[in-house]
Amino acid sequence: MNWHKVLFLFLWISPHVLLGVFVVVLCKRRLYREFPCFLAYVLYEIAEFILLFTLYLFALHSVAGVTANTYAYAWSATLTFNIALRFGVIDEVCKDLFRDSQFLKLAARRSLLCVTGLLLGVGVLLAVYAPGGNSVRWFAGVLAINRGAAMVQSGLLLSLLLFSRFLGLSWRRSAFGIALGLGVLTSVYLANYALRAEFTSKAGADFLNLLTTGTYLACVSIWTGYLLTPEPEPVSLAVVSHDEVETWNTELQHLLRD
Amino acid sequence: MEHGVATFAQGLISPAMIAAWTLVAVALFALAILMYVAIRSRTRRLDLEKAVQAFRSLDIDAFRNLVDSAEDAFLRDNLPPKKFREIKRQRAWAALIYVWEAGKAATALAAIGQALKRHSDPKIAASGVPLSENAWRLRLQTIGASLHLLTEILLPDLESRSLPPLVDQYERASETLVRLGRFSSAERHSCNP
Repeated sequence: MNWHKVLFLFLWISPHVLLGVFVVVLCKRRLYREFPCFLAYVLYEIAEFILLFTLYLFALHSVAGVTANTYAYAWSATLTFNIALRFGVIDEVCKDLFRDSQFLKLAARRSLLCVTGLLLGVGVLLAVYAPGGNSVRWFAGVLAINRGAAMVQSGLLLSLLLFSRFLGLSWRRSAFGIALGLGVLTSVYLANYALRAEFTSKAGADFLNLLTTGTYLACVSIWTGYLLTPEPEPVSLAVVSHDEVETWNTELQHLLRD
Repeated sequence: MEHGVATFAQGLISPAMIAAWTLVAVALFALAILMYVAIRSRTRRLDLEKAVQAFRSLDIDAFRNLVDSAEDAFLRDNLPPKKFREIKRQRAWAALIYVWEAGKAATALAAIGQALKRHSDPKIAASGVPLSENAWRLRLQTIGASLHLLTEILLPDLESRSLPPLVDQYERASETLVRLGRFSSAERHSCNP
């Protein structure tokens, strides 16, 4: 077994083992009540890995008539639900971020819908005008869909992070970790699928596989790190008295009434 | 050989390849922003004094003058068109800086309001909710004002409407902050022997 294969297997297996530990922590901290879709996503990722890894081993040793094509079909089929779950996780993170304000929830939903529409438009245009140079038509289609989905998801998460900074919103550590990890993952997916659609050589595909699996390991580490770190202590603002806050409120309400 | 190089170069600059590399650049840019936000969120500290100072530094009379439509009309009538456009752009640019600073202060205020929600005193904690909510509204309103001023910078010949609500917002906010500043310093003086 060459070093490339060992590295590839390590990067493929280790994040899923870590995800198993992550699920235990998620359940112990009862975070599944706040992020049920994220838990479903993580469980789905583990199940998907078990299925694909089994098919990979079968294809490698030509067991039960499994071929590389079977693996490719299975990978494409599982991907659709994976993309849907990632959208669900983004929705959950969004709800958590705007949990305190109905007004912001509405404003953010509208803005994010606009961003989604814009990104979808760009994704569709790219799929039509730059469908990729892969000779296998259905595979080129899968890559184009993935590329579009990664672009929308990465754009949404980036908008969410920038929106929160712009408005001075405070994230809970767990939600921020989920958003950050998923943001990194979808950004790398975007670059990966964009290049894969054009570069069809085996060496290029192998390198991109390593890059993606390595990034996935980094993202699972980000999720685990943020989940294991306790929430920071509330900032001490002893200098602000109740009267002060009330004055701010009254004055700002006056401003907004005008 | 030459033919091979030409084909390779042609492949690299084909529209599909340009699209692919553009997406890679976009992805790298997104990654850089994510890293920046992650690092900044770890080092960010709330600074009430800074927020207060930012609001207090806004000269409301100067801002009122900058966005006054009557003043604009006077300048339009008395200056040559080229000079008017130049001055209008400068005035709109200065007003935009004011709006930008007010928006930044509103963001700091919203963050303080959110931190107050976790205060040990329930009364203060309860006050944090509407405080941040109002600051967010103010922040969003500054976007509209910024767009308005940017239009004036780009198209100075357009007849502009004034920005009265924003002017009043500034005035009231700075009055509040002056009071708050006095209160804070009085509290500090009473604490320091």
